[in-house]
Order: sequence, then structure tokens, then C-alpha cells
Amino acid sequence: MQILIRPGDELPIYRQIMSQITEALAVGRLQPGEKLPSHRELAEELVIAPLTVKKAYDELESLGFLETQRGRGTFVCSRLPKLKMADQREQIEAAARKLLSLAYMVGVDLGGVVEILRKAEDELLHGSHSAASRAAG
Amino acid sequence: MNDVLEFRNVVRAYVRGVPVLNGVTFSVAEGEVVGLLGRNGSGKTTLIHIAMGMLFPQGGTVRVFGLSPTERAVEVKKRIGYVAEDQVLPRTSSIAELIAFHRYLFPRWDAVLERQILDRFSLHTKSKILGLSKGQARAVALLCAVCHRPELLILDEPAAGLDPAARREFLEVAIQFLNRAGATILYSSHYMDDIERLGSRAVMLDEGKVFLDAGVDRLREEYCVVLIPARSVSDAEILTRVPGYLRARRHYGDWHTVFHGSPEAVKKLLEQSLGSNGIRCARTNLEELFVELMARNEEQETP
Repeated sequence: MQILIRPGDELPIYRQIMSQITEALAVGRLQPGEKLPSHRELAEELVIAPLTVKKAYDELESLGFLETQRGRGTFVCSRLPKLKMADQREQIEAAARKLLSLAYMVGVDLGGVVEILRKAEDELLHGSHSAASRAAG
Repeated sequence: MNDVLEFRNVVRAYVRGVPVLNGVTFSVAEGEVVGLLGRNGSGKTTLIHIAMGMLFPQGGTVRVFGLSPTERAVEVKKRIGYVAEDQVLPRTSSIAELIAFHRYLFPRWDAVLERQILDRFSLHTKSKILGLSKGQARAVALLCAVCHRPELLILDEPAAGLDPAARREFLEVAIQFLNRAGATILYSSHYMDDIERLGSRAVMLDEGKVFLDAGVDRLREEYCVVLIPARSVSDAEILTRVPGYLRARRHYGDWHTVFHGSPEAVKKLLEQSLGSNGIRCARTNLEELFVELMARNEEQETP
């Protein structure tokens, strides 16, 4: 599984794993029903303590993203929960402020940012290829 | 859960009247991975030597598997694996001879793990110890420490002096060992990234005592570094009275402080008690937290 761990980063390692798995789910890199590596396997791959992976899996399980089938392993749930807006709103707002200040700094106005967001949405929903070909045509 | 390792009020001085350890108390439960942190000279190695039965505590008690490591030395050592930064391996032996010796001492030898480690570090058993690089020598020491499947692994700055790649390889083996054997580990290190990768709990020594003892994730999520403009603190003692206070030091025009609590809550609390609004609060990584907790004060006395 493609997960990148940065120990000195803002988030503790188990949170980094959680957010990268939910990100992979959001963009479809991980599919409902897909099997995840065992926490021991992922621990060896990422060179982190097995308990840390277990903690990330457990949290994701309690949020309804993953399920453990006894003797078979950990899987992505076939029906994924919708994140509560209230929990995420703060993060989205912070990201929006960051995005806008970056855009203003290089002279892109609000309209330009909205355009960039539309393009990003297109890429997420239809894959980057179609967006690129449309932009070319 | 049973305590594998227990320090109770451990005292040890090398010079009379100047204790390095002055009442250290904590225990390590079965299956825990504990990182021992502290500045140079804070007594980490002394404490480890006491656990290994290499030094007597002058006060207090130490128990390993519930036994005294000095009175039941052989029994205890059989169940421990130990790697130290300055460990001396017999220079003229070959790796094969060294392994044969350990295998003879420890009947529970794990030949599969031995093969794994030899392959991982591309070690040839015919090589003599004196011809090995620092990283390879440390790998051989680790091999000897883990292949007898110890219940307790004690690592005293195992990564000191290794290049980043060798450090990572060493960590890989430690994690493979953890996966296979599920042992208890106590290790001291100055590499905070390694502590985050391997550790579940950090014990910080300062001035001869346990200054902080908390889960690594909790340290990241429940503690914050706060910068307060020096002009808004009339008397440094005020800070110590704010709930959650841990440390403060003057650094250029600010007080650098550490508080227990979420950044939002701590900020609110400080703004109310100091009547200042130039306060910055942030969660931080272990390295920054360690520096803020352990760095000496520049100008004034700490409050």
C-alpha cells in the first residue's frame, strides 16, 4: 500500500496512516471490499511499531471505514460512511484560507481559484486523462 | 499485565552527594515498547546498567521479571537481549564463531531470524569482527541480542553513530523482531524520529527523576508549545500557576513554554490569565517538544 510516513510531521504517525487511507478511499485508489495488508505486514513495510498500525486500523474501524473479518484480515467496508461535516469543516476552512493566500500571493483572484477548483473536481471524478484532453481540445 | 521491569526510587551517584539518579520510579509492562529520553548525562545509561545488574542502585529497588538483577544475575540475563552503543565484540573472532558461542549459551536460538538478519545486512559469517563497518558490527550485536528470543530487549543508544540508512535497517530488524516475538523493549535514543517509529511510550529523565512519562501519541496530541511575548509576562512565576504548565524558558523576545492541553484551550486560558493576545500555541513534533522541555534558559532563571 502506498503510504508515506513522516515521523517529524504535524500529525502523529497513526493519524498520518488514517488520513492517507481515507484520502485513498476518497479518490478511489482504495475500493470498497478491498483487502488491506495485515497490521504486522504494514508495520514492517513502513518500519513502524505494529501497535501503531493497529491503532490506525482500530480507529478507522470504529469510524466505519474498515472491517475485520476474523481469520481473513482487514477489509474496506462495502458501504462507506459519510464523514460528518461538523468534524471536517474546520479543516476545510483552514485549507481554504491557505489556498486563497497562496493564490493571492501569485496574483490569482477568487474567480481563478474557482476555476482551478472546477478543474480539480473534474480530475477527481472523471480521472485526470479526460480533464487533460478536454483542456487540450 | 505483569511488569517486566520495575524501578522504584532508584538512586545512584558516582560522586558522593551528586546523584545522577535521584529517585527514579517507573515500570514497563509486558509487551510495551518504551523510549528512554533525556539529555546527555541525565542518567539513561546508568539506569540501563542498573537494570542489567552491571551496577548496584545505592537506594531504591530494581526488579527484572520480578527478580533482582544482581542477586539472580544469570537467570535474569538469560532472558534479556542487550545492545549498547559502545558494545565491544571480540575483534579477532569471525561472525560464525560469535554466533556459535551465543547459540551454545542460549538453547532457544532462532536460526530463521539469524538468517534473515545476516541476509538483510549482507553479512558473511566468515568475516572477522574487526573488518566490519560500524553499522555491520551493530547489526551483529543486534543479531546476538535478539536471536535467543529474549523476553526483554534493552537497547542503549543503538543507533548512535550510524548513518541514516543503517539506522533504518537496524529499526527494520527491531520491528521484525517485535512482530515475531512480541517482546518488551526499553531503549534509549536521541533520535526522536526513531522513538516515534518504534515507541509507544516515552519516559523522559531530568535532574535525576522521571520528568515526563506519556504515550508518544499523547505527547503529540495533548501537549503544546506556546510562545508568549516577554513583555506580557510581568513576573515569570505567574506562568507556573497556570494549569497544565510544564516548563518555560526565555528565548530572545519571548517565553517559550510547554503546556499540557490542546492549543485552543491553552491559548484561551493564557489570554485570560495574562490579558495578552500575542500568544502562539501549536502542537509540535517530539524533537521540538524535547528541545523546549530540556533546553537551558538563556537569560533569566526559569520560573
